[in-house]
Amino acid sequence: MGEIVLKDVEKSFGEISVLRDINLTINDGEFVVFVGPSGCGKSTLLRMITGLETVSGGQVVIDGEDITHTKPSSRGLAMVFQSYALFPHISVRDNIGFGLKIAGLPKAEIDAKVAQASGILGLDALLDRKPRELSGGQQQRVAIGRAIVREPAAFLFDEPLSNLDAALRVQMRIELIRLHERLATTMIYVTHDQVEAMTMADRIVVLEGGDIQQFDTPIALYDRPVNKFVAGFIGSPKMNFMEASPGPDGTVQIKGGPALKVPGVDLARITRRMTVGIRPEHICYAHDTGDLTGKILVEEQLGSDAFLYVEVEGIGMVTVRAVGERDFHSHQTVHLSLPPETCHVFDESDLRINEN
Amino acid sequence: MKSVRWQLIAAFAITFVFVAPILWMVLAAFKTINDIYAIPPVWVPDFTYLENFKLLLSENWQFLLNSTIVTLSATALCLAFALPCAFGLVYFQFGAKNFLADWILSTRMMPPIAAAVPLYMVFNGAGMLDTMPALVIAYAGFNLPFAVWVAMSFFRNIPKEIIEAARIEGCGWFQTFRLVALPLAKSGIATVATFVFIFAWNELLLALFLTTREAKTFPVVISSFSTVTKTYWELISAATIIQILPPVIFTILMQRHIVSGLTMGAVKN
Ligand SMILES: Nc1ncnc2c1ncn2[C@@H]1O[C@H](COP(=O)(O)OP(=O)(O)OP(=O)(O)O)[C@@H](O)[C@H]1O
Ligand SMILES: [Mg+2]
Repeated sequence: MGEIVLKDVEKSFGEISVLRDINLTINDGEFVVFVGPSGCGKSTLLRMITGLETVSGGQVVIDGEDITHTKPSSRGLAMVFQSYALFPHISVRDNIGFGLKIAGLPKAEIDAKVAQASGILGLDALLDRKPRELSGGQQQRVAIGRAIVREPAAFLFDEPLSNLDAALRVQMRIELIRLHERLATTMIYVTHDQVEAMTMADRIVVLEGGDIQQFDTPIALYDRPVNKFVAGFIGSPKMNFMEASPGPDGTVQIKGGPALKVPGVDLARITRRMTVGIRPEHICYAHDTGDLTGKILVEEQLGSDAFLYVEVEGIGMVTVRAVGERDFHSHQTVHLSLPPETCHVFDESDLRINEN
Repeated sequence: MKSVRWQLIAAFAITFVFVAPILWMVLAAFKTINDIYAIPPVWVPDFTYLENFKLLLSENWQFLLNSTIVTLSATALCLAFALPCAFGLVYFQFGAKNFLADWILSTRMMPPIAAAVPLYMVFNGAGMLDTMPALVIAYAGFNLPFAVWVAMSFFRNIPKEIIEAARIEGCGWFQTFRLVALPLAKSGIATVATFVFIFAWNELLLALFLTTREAKTFPVVISSFSTVTKTYWELISAATIIQILPPVIFTILMQRHIVSGLTMGAVKN
């Protein structure tokens, strides 16, 4: 079991407040990812759950038990660090079995569990080596092995894949997803990587400036971001933002562009200055007609997609994702239109005011 | 080419200046007192002449034993206090932590002689004058600040995550210390042990103050060969050879650990 509840958790280092009013309920067996810009407190939040960092206010509850002041060794959690943090002086076998030995399990049982974990992770041939004799990917597997043998209430990962090369990262990502399906244990995963967050998470916590901006499923974050920050943070390339103001008949007038009748806009919440957001793949483009006219500055052709960076007078740079497109090139003129049903409208305090 | 040769010559010359007294001593240890003063000098003595060593050891073997016991005990006692203390100063969070660490070092700022008289009074009051425990305590105490500081720097070099991993894996502080921090600071411990060993083995001043007969250490014995009326150069030489052997052997033994520790740190995990 591993339901983790944070109630009004706060953290400050001396005078500096790093996290405020953190309220989260992570269900048993859920895979939750913390994302946010560097320095927003992701690691700190994770470390408060482990007990490595003290909590300045509020409560941490695991399976109904308040463990706010319990020492890390008694919390029954396992953590995988970015630097792997293997014990360099003992063999892979002893590293994986370390926690079991501390817990005082009989040797035969430890050996059986280590053998099982090393089988799952493909470490059988490496058990007698020292950590420094392994590659980065193998070290990471050992760190994961050390975590899984203990059958913890939850696994905590702090950017575990960021030291690996791109190909290995993809492979380990898939292995972790499969591991989670197999173990069905709660996992909390900190990452910078959008793709990791979107593909692995059941739900994502977006942190910024010490606050939780949104806690929801990846698709909900993508389709219904609560504010401009989340809208801009999730998705790559980023959502396009354009300045806007109230237009006639409940429309939203884009500065230097058309007035859009965005469905579901809460008219009561319209403010004098607004922002319209639209994702690159939602913009329609054509050679002849459209709401906006611009010039393609750069064409990034990936084969599957072409990303067009279009300079539109009065609006600025607009990114267009053209799936499988071969027919638009740098320096050409292009006409863009913005389907209103795909647009998001943010008020002057950056909250989203259209419902869909 | 030419400059390399000059460098070599210079290096040999400097080395000779440092080695000459030891060389003289080694030769003198195998000479009679008359040969030592002989003009023209007896350059190469008869190395089968061992009377100096026999005389020395037959009368003073128990002081050599004292030295051994005191040195090993002081080294062990010093490490037993310094290592946990350094670990706590590095990893525990408490107020006045830095103040405490600095204050420990400040006790090093006075010369040993300043402590000699107070120590004499204390051990006199405790009825411990001329006992080995008094020397052990004094030597261990004198080296504690240095030992704590060196051990702290070695504990600090252990990546923080490794210590944290141990704690999450279920280790209490003591287990973290014993199972993870100590093995990883092995080279630091070897370094500290070597320095404390050499200090305690060669210490003369406090031993002169605190011992008279029973607990005398070997350096005190050596100093007693130089009297108002006569200096027994042949005995001093023989004794000094015996005196410098253990530190040399100890250092060679420890060097392996120090070197292996340094290379281990080089490949950061
Ligand atoms: N021990 C500490 N003392 C003082 N400030 C700290 C300490 N640890 C972290 N901070 C501060 O707390 C804030 C959050 O740090 P944290 O490491 O949680 O960020 P993060 O989201 O994990 O960043 P990154 O993505 O770069 O890892 C940062 O501003 C950092 O400077
Ligand atoms: Mg971090």
